[in-house]
Amino acid sequence: MAGESEKERKHTTVSIPIQLYEKIKKRIKGTGFTSVSDYVTYVLREVIASLEEEEKEEVFSKEEEEKVKERLRALGYLD
Amino acid sequence: MGNRKVFVIGLDSAPPELLFNKFMDELPNIRRILDKSIYGPMKSCVPAITIPAWMVMATGKTPGELGLYGFRHRRSGTYNDVWIAHSRMVREKAVWDYIGSEGRKSILVGVPPTYPPRKINGFLISCFITPDASKEYTYPPELKWEIQKLVGEYVFDVVFRRNERDKVREEVWEMTEKRFEVIRHLLQEKNWDYFQFVEIGLDRIHHAFWKYFDEKHHLHEPNSRYRDVIKNYYKLLDREIGETLKLIDEDTSVVIVSDHGVKGMKGAFAINQWLIDEGLLKIRNPEILVRGRQVRFEELDVDWSSTIAWAWGGYYSRVFLNVKGREPKGTVKHSEYESVREEVAEKIKSIRGPEGEKWKTKAYYPEKLYPLSIGDKPDIMVYLDNLSWRAAGTLGHPSNYLPENDTGPDDAVHSEYGVFSLHTPEMNGKEEIACSIYDFAPAMLKIYRDVNDPWF
Repeated sequence: MAGESEKERKHTTVSIPIQLYEKIKKRIKGTGFTSVSDYVTYVLREVIASLEEEEKEEVFSKEEEEKVKERLRALGYLD
Repeated sequence: MGNRKVFVIGLDSAPPELLFNKFMDELPNIRRILDKSIYGPMKSCVPAITIPAWMVMATGKTPGELGLYGFRHRRSGTYNDVWIAHSRMVREKAVWDYIGSEGRKSILVGVPPTYPPRKINGFLISCFITPDASKEYTYPPELKWEIQKLVGEYVFDVVFRRNERDKVREEVWEMTEKRFEVIRHLLQEKNWDYFQFVEIGLDRIHHAFWKYFDEKHHLHEPNSRYRDVIKNYYKLLDREIGETLKLIDEDTSVVIVSDHGVKGMKGAFAINQWLIDEGLLKIRNPEILVRGRQVRFEELDVDWSSTIAWAWGGYYSRVFLNVKGREPKGTVKHSEYESVREEVAEKIKSIRGPEGEKWKTKAYYPEKLYPLSIGDKPDIMVYLDNLSWRAAGTLGHPSNYLPENDTGPDDAVHSEYGVFSLHTPEMNGKEEIACSIYDFAPAMLKIYRDVNDPWF
């Protein structure tokens, strides 16, 4: 087999506008981010994680929600 | 400046009158911090309620921008199908998110709402809206086992509105002692730059024992054996805080903060009964109201096609107008919205007390209060007699004025001013200040900044 297969490779290249690249480069100067790729990966992970979170099923099951509501009522928050 | 750390002591409902004045001399550890701090009353947000206030503080955003106006909100297109506020509804960045993106670590314990636990750069234990300790309540999830090994079953909250006061007192003490044990464990065992916890026990103790303590309360019981419970709880907090601060080095900034204050409750006002009296809320089963029992709003057969307004109770009241196109059977036309709202608000502001006394009622409009108001905003946000009277959403009461709370014993309400104090390593003296809840997040972030910092 010649070279790395797509599966084995850990990184790949995506294109971003040069202006944005320069902006990020300036922004990360002196921070813990060592490269533009580093920063872009961090930001994208954050975005994806929050999207995934939103797509998750309901936070409370019906039963849990009743339990929490009952308690909040007993605590004076819902009357 | 690069290694700066901040330790935030969150005391739910601590009022300046007690923490900074009445009890000050009996709280040597807190006093020692304040002697080297800037401190003073901190104006809360509207509404001055635990949710949204703690997240308003942490994000610097208004309730309108967060879309959080209390613990519950309506699902759009329904009258009373509600969802309960939780961590995923907070979409704005908080202090720990900002500093986390610079690689700094945070530990959060009990900051409402943090259930379900969210990923942060650090460690998190969720708050009192957690259904129970069998649920996943930490980030990362394996932290839960560490906590269990340390204190057994972790306690999120104590329901105080019941008559077994001794039990309430005992349970709150146990909850608080466990929480501080967890806090001390985390601050010694984990790396952190920002540590914030919220102790909800103070709010529960205020509500459950206020009438025994406050001589001016209309239900005051002099010389009760519960007279000193509130003071003793402050002393417990002071001891625990003292023990905890021993573990913190001198380069750490220390903050004490509360989400709102507390004051005596004068009574509860049955707002939906009043709306019926005023002809703004129409029901088809009025006989249900005269049977001498409490009636929940859901038990009413509301005639929506002729109803103009209905309300939710709580420490403040949310009044909704039945708007055409927004509500399923709306009656208020878009073109008449402002004038109808003004009319209803004026009526509410003219409500007088049981003896005909004038009230200092405030009626706010979300769009006027906030730069943006997303989500399920109420049409009018009402502070009855400036929060001294609770709003009861229930009906079937012999009078609109209830001397006691409608849903179990409770003698206290919220007040608009909480507390704020900040000690940084440079401070040697004390200075009194006044600030607002919106100053908190910028102040925290500023501690981590210096002029060479490109994020400044």
